[in-house]
Amino acid sequence: MDSLSLPKNDLFGQMDADAAFRKQRTMALARAFVLLGLGAYFAWNIVSGSLANYINASFAWLSYVASGLFLLMGAFALLRARAMKPSANGLEDLLQGNSYRAPVSWGVIALVAVPLLLGTLIPSRPLGAEAVTGIDMSAVQGASSGSVTTFTIAPLNRNVLDWLRVFNATTDYAALNGEPADVIGFVYVEPDMAETQFMVARFTVSCCVADSNAIGVPVHWGAEDVAALPQGQWVRVTGTMQVESFRGDDMPVLQASAVELIEAPSNPYLFP
Amino acid sequence: MTPEFPRGPRDRSFIKRFVVIALIVSVTGALLAAVLTSGRDPIVLLNIFTIRFLGIFIEAAPFLLLGAFASGLIDAFVRPDDIARLMPKNPVLATFAGAGLGFFFPVCECGVVPVVRRLYGKGLPMSVGVAFLLAAPVINPIVLVATYVAYGFGPVLIGRFVLTFAVAVAVGLVFMAAARPRDVLRPTSLSRLSLAAPRGGMDSATPADVVAVAKVAPPRRTLKDGFRSAVFTAIDDFFDMGRYLVIGTVLAATMQTFISQETLTQLGSGPIGSVLVLQLVAFVLSVCSTVDAFISLAFVNTFTPGAIIAFLVFGPMVDIKALLMYSGVFRLRVVLYLFLLPMLLVMLAAIWINLNIPL
Repeated sequence: MDSLSLPKNDLFGQMDADAAFRKQRTMALARAFVLLGLGAYFAWNIVSGSLANYINASFAWLSYVASGLFLLMGAFALLRARAMKPSANGLEDLLQGNSYRAPVSWGVIALVAVPLLLGTLIPSRPLGAEAVTGIDMSAVQGASSGSVTTFTIAPLNRNVLDWLRVFNATTDYAALNGEPADVIGFVYVEPDMAETQFMVARFTVSCCVADSNAIGVPVHWGAEDVAALPQGQWVRVTGTMQVESFRGDDMPVLQASAVELIEAPSNPYLFP
Repeated sequence: MTPEFPRGPRDRSFIKRFVVIALIVSVTGALLAAVLTSGRDPIVLLNIFTIRFLGIFIEAAPFLLLGAFASGLIDAFVRPDDIARLMPKNPVLATFAGAGLGFFFPVCECGVVPVVRRLYGKGLPMSVGVAFLLAAPVINPIVLVATYVAYGFGPVLIGRFVLTFAVAVAVGLVFMAAARPRDVLRPTSLSRLSLAAPRGGMDSATPADVVAVAKVAPPRRTLKDGFRSAVFTAIDDFFDMGRYLVIGTVLAATMQTFISQETLTQLGSGPIGSVLVLQLVAFVLSVCSTVDAFISLAFVNTFTPGAIIAFLVFGPMVDIKALLMYSGVFRLRVVLYLFLLPMLLVMLAAIWINLNIPL
């Protein structure tokens, strides 16, 4: 926060006042462009759909608000910067403005521009298998309040999260034997799984990826086919549920009849 | 005529710059070390980091903006005597009122800091500002609705609001005992306060100067003029506070990329351990108070009720990015108090809940 660094010598020499003024105006313009850039970035996130890589869709309206406010502030900042002129009162007006000015420095502008740079320079992608730090089967129990309604969802319409809620809501896994399933997710394999097994996994996101949880339904398939599946590949798995041993516990495992390689969906996360 | 500058901020700019550079260097160093020792592909780690960073930023920025606009509107339309009229004369009562002020100024923890700084500039007593700072992120209509949606009307909702109010008032009252602005505020915040005063306040500003400001309240602005000024103030505040949001988000995303939430959650199941763990998680995650209720749902089955309440009370008061924002307004010693007092009070209350109230 090195406020208003003025030329040290001859505070009121015409040249130095000019230099200070030019620096102020350049900074004001830079701030305007950062704000307009952030507004455009938020709008682009919404239009391109990459917003879905970052936050729960039910909070998307926040980005609409943010985009509008950024653009409004950017427009005002641009007008203010363009209207700046060396005033008759000299530096004092410039420095104190109409009330008081937040101190500005290039460092601050650069920091606030970091999200803009990361957002535009690094291609937007969803969290994938490489971000999984372990799949906790109990992680979804907190969301099991929806379990009563989950049973009313037809088995073929259940997604990975719905299936885990069904698993968590019942103690009689055998009752699920033979239920048909059709789920999408990314392939997740760990060394302690049998060679005929993998997981079809999703991330759940409550508000933004900061609180993401990896969840998955175990799948049984041919050993050679499993070995050929790349970690993180998005797949659509169809088959029926059957209790078998998975990582040492008996639980429903999806017996795949087909595993189809697919593109990542436009909504990569599930919202508990 | 030499324009009068507050000397304090300029003399300290060297130290400030040193601290910022040291912080950036150490974060970068820690990042590099973590990347190199993890044995994972740096590009993959950069990708994960970027997604998490942008996730937090995209979710937090709207609230920072709303807070900055609230701050700008307060600056443009709320005159010091309005606040003075709103506040009870009795300082203890005023501190209680400060803890409830959030219902009229709905801001989350990203947005509350610029508002508090503005209010200090308008002559708000230190204790009232501290109570507002700690309470407002929770005691406001938006968070009330969010918590209700997540938990319904029950022990968690009641516990969250009652405990937040109690801790905010308690810490506010501590500041009432030693509440000279120059002991509490950073010189830069102080200088704003004295710049608004009739000539001569500067570093030696005393509470008397602040009262003097209140006595020369400007006439109410027109709507158009006030709105213009509010937007300009919001711009300045956004850049002022935005840097702390960015630094805090970098830290939170860095920790998230290298410490798994699972590892943290496995640590706590006892009545005491669980509280400590969720306080740490709340501190590290740095998520906004308007959405943390939904995140805490993930802990409901594995953690004690006291720990959940601690998460929902402590997180909005103190987390990494809030601490960085506080350090832009308050003196370092005060930032330490603002960290330690809520942490200890919330910890004790939550452990007490776990041991004494069957939920």
